[in-house]
Amino acid sequence: MSEPLRVRVARSDPAARTDFEVAWTPPMTVLDVLLAIQRDHDPSLGFRFSCRVAMCGTCTLRVNGSSVLACQTKVEPGRLRIDPMAGFPIVRDLIVDVGAFWREWAAVTPYLVPRDGLDEPAVIPPDTPERRRIDPSLDCITCGACFSSCAIADDRRDFIGPAALNRAMVLIADSRDAGGEERLDVVTRAQGVDRCHYVYGCTHACPKGLDPAGAIRALRRWRTHGLPD
Amino acid sequence: MGFPTEPDVIDTDVAVIGSGGAGLMCVLHVHAADPRLSVALVSKGAVGRSGCTRMVQGGYNAVLDPSDSIDAHFRDTLDGGKYLNDQELAWTLVNDAPRVINELETRVGCFFDRGPDGRINQKAFAGQSFDRTVHRGDLTGIEIMGRLRDQMFRVGPRELEDVRALDLVRDKDGELAGLTALDWRTGRAMLIRARVIVVATGGAATMWKIAAPAREKTGDGVAMCYRAGLPLRDMEMLQFHPTGLLAGASRLTGAVLEEGLRGAGARLLNADGERYMSRYDARRMERSTRDVVARASYTEIMSGRGTRLGGVHIDISHLGAEEVERRFPGMVARTRQVGQDLATGPVEVSPTAHFHMGGVIIDRDCRTEMAGLLVAGEDAGGTHGANRLGGNGVAESTVYGARAGDQVAREAAGRPLRDPDPEEVAASIHQAYAPLHRESGPLPFPLTTELKELMWARCGVVRDRDGLLAARTALDRLSEQVAAVCAPGPAAANYTWQEALDLVNQITVAQLVVESALTREESRGAHYRSDFPERRDDAWLRYVIVRRASDGRPDLSTRPVETTRLVPEPEETAP
Repeated sequence: MSEPLRVRVARSDPAARTDFEVAWTPPMTVLDVLLAIQRDHDPSLGFRFSCRVAMCGTCTLRVNGSSVLACQTKVEPGRLRIDPMAGFPIVRDLIVDVGAFWREWAAVTPYLVPRDGLDEPAVIPPDTPERRRIDPSLDCITCGACFSSCAIADDRRDFIGPAALNRAMVLIADSRDAGGEERLDVVTRAQGVDRCHYVYGCTHACPKGLDPAGAIRALRRWRTHGLPD
Repeated sequence: MGFPTEPDVIDTDVAVIGSGGAGLMCVLHVHAADPRLSVALVSKGAVGRSGCTRMVQGGYNAVLDPSDSIDAHFRDTLDGGKYLNDQELAWTLVNDAPRVINELETRVGCFFDRGPDGRINQKAFAGQSFDRTVHRGDLTGIEIMGRLRDQMFRVGPRELEDVRALDLVRDKDGELAGLTALDWRTGRAMLIRARVIVVATGGAATMWKIAAPAREKTGDGVAMCYRAGLPLRDMEMLQFHPTGLLAGASRLTGAVLEEGLRGAGARLLNADGERYMSRYDARRMERSTRDVVARASYTEIMSGRGTRLGGVHIDISHLGAEEVERRFPGMVARTRQVGQDLATGPVEVSPTAHFHMGGVIIDRDCRTEMAGLLVAGEDAGGTHGANRLGGNGVAESTVYGARAGDQVAREAAGRPLRDPDPEEVAASIHQAYAPLHRESGPLPFPLTTELKELMWARCGVVRDRDGLLAARTALDRLSEQVAAVCAPGPAAANYTWQEALDLVNQITVAQLVVESALTREESRGAHYRSDFPERRDDAWLRYVIVRRASDGRPDLSTRPVETTRLVPEPEETAP
């Protein structure tokens, strides 16, 4: 048997067991560790996941302080500390209520407002400035890792937050959308882009390699210099 | 110990169960047709982020190019389905798909990959006569479900998130009146009264040892409809995707490496380095349909030509690392996650349980035998016949989700809210809470493992009568054990309890798969019987129907396929 993992898991019940020794069976992720604990040590451990391949974005938590997807985080022998995401009320153990994330998301009108006459898929070559701006910012899985690692969002809870601002940027840049002016107005108000202090916690944390901080910079630029063509 | 089992009552015009592609498209279409209708969206997992539409990699088949044709897509779908398809459902699928793609692009807000001319790019997928698969990179599901989820903020259904549907319930006259449910976050029971109910929970492929789907897919919808007495068809038809990742004990095992790899020229090699598809389908090689490739790989593995982890190799590295990384970034990342690398060399894969072609019998407007009950997406059977083409899955869920929504709007006004029979409600809730009340008994986890091992060994890629009979006996025993299962802990957010409830549905569906597989004494599509290895169009151009008899046992019958549009060519009779 190889060296075991020593795992400490945050629990909401103060009487619940927090420390576990789990056999290391590579390839092994944090999700595998949690499943092993639930199966072999404590069936009452609460955590959430669905797809286990970085598409659903529901297994977000903190490992040794960093906000990550449990299913994408490899473990090596040694010590591991697992906490719920930061900035959200805890439902139980590692399960949090992400309602605040979605309230912010909803605030930027996150859906396409089709411009008049958009009846057929728009003809837009992939190498246009528009797509070069948008494409690297798609594939957000709304996992909340950026929110959990954002020093500002965690604090007063009135910052629109990195994921929602990234979504706003994508839609504002999308020539198929007619809601840009209004959206830019929302994201540049008091709860918007100016609350960001460019700590880059979001960009470092994003498991999909997106750059929400870059999106926030773009939004500030557009406020000053006008919307992109 | 007391738990809150007196249900909270919710009244709604429409209840949609499931928040994948079918469920959310349904909500959109209900709203578009009649915004006054109230909609409750019942979702066992996070809304728009659970289930499998989200996990779609490759893409979406639709006829967009003038040199392609609806007839060609239809013929491919029937060829792939080995002519077991309900031809009206398949015809409806291929006809609606272009319109729904257009809606996803221009109304829902998706943006699919473009070719250099700025028009939607369509790529090659296995088993198709034309390159017609619309996609967004190799992670198409995120774009479709992300945008559908966004639309929910415009439409504003009542989102009952983390709520598990338990049973359909009727009134004293036997009319559909609503459903029982369980909010697993709080542990509270619910009674949802609705004029019309749409079941769109997804399939049950999680019950095999190596399996691709998200955790929610435990056959809840199909099991619920079966308990309510509805007829199901093609339950023996469970698709194994040929290329599931192997990652030892990790949960990542079974995750799909997408079909487009084979479309782009990936080779399959056994442990001897032989490109074995030449012995199974020399013409189409790796681009043969999923059933043929999965069975070929399985045969290689079982004949002792498997790799160290018990699989075969998929290799696309001859395209060059840069090209593979550019075209399949998600797949490359997925393999690196388990210490392999698709960009630079072969990766170990195995057939993995992926999609259930079988399900509830519906018509082209998603109607069932029960008035007021619609079924859409993977919970329904017939569209794909004996084997689904890659790219027809998300097409089915969105096309039929949309049609269900349109149908809801036509039906809801004419159906009153009814009072569910209190005894039915109490029985359903009592049964669901039983594991929580028990002081002792087995935990569900080892039983789940046993079920997965059993289905893999006895009712997997290759089946025979002895194995299926053994599976029947083992499932009877498992269903007794699950009736005594215990879930320690509180009612709120108790996953052990939820696993126990999943397991009840999985075992129910497993029994129906086994019984249907025993009935079909031939080989066709995904169903391969080593004791009946031939496809028998003379005797078996029939589909297997199963429904619950009055004694609670499955009642099986068969009915001839209605070849309303296309009759199979006599020479095309390979299983």
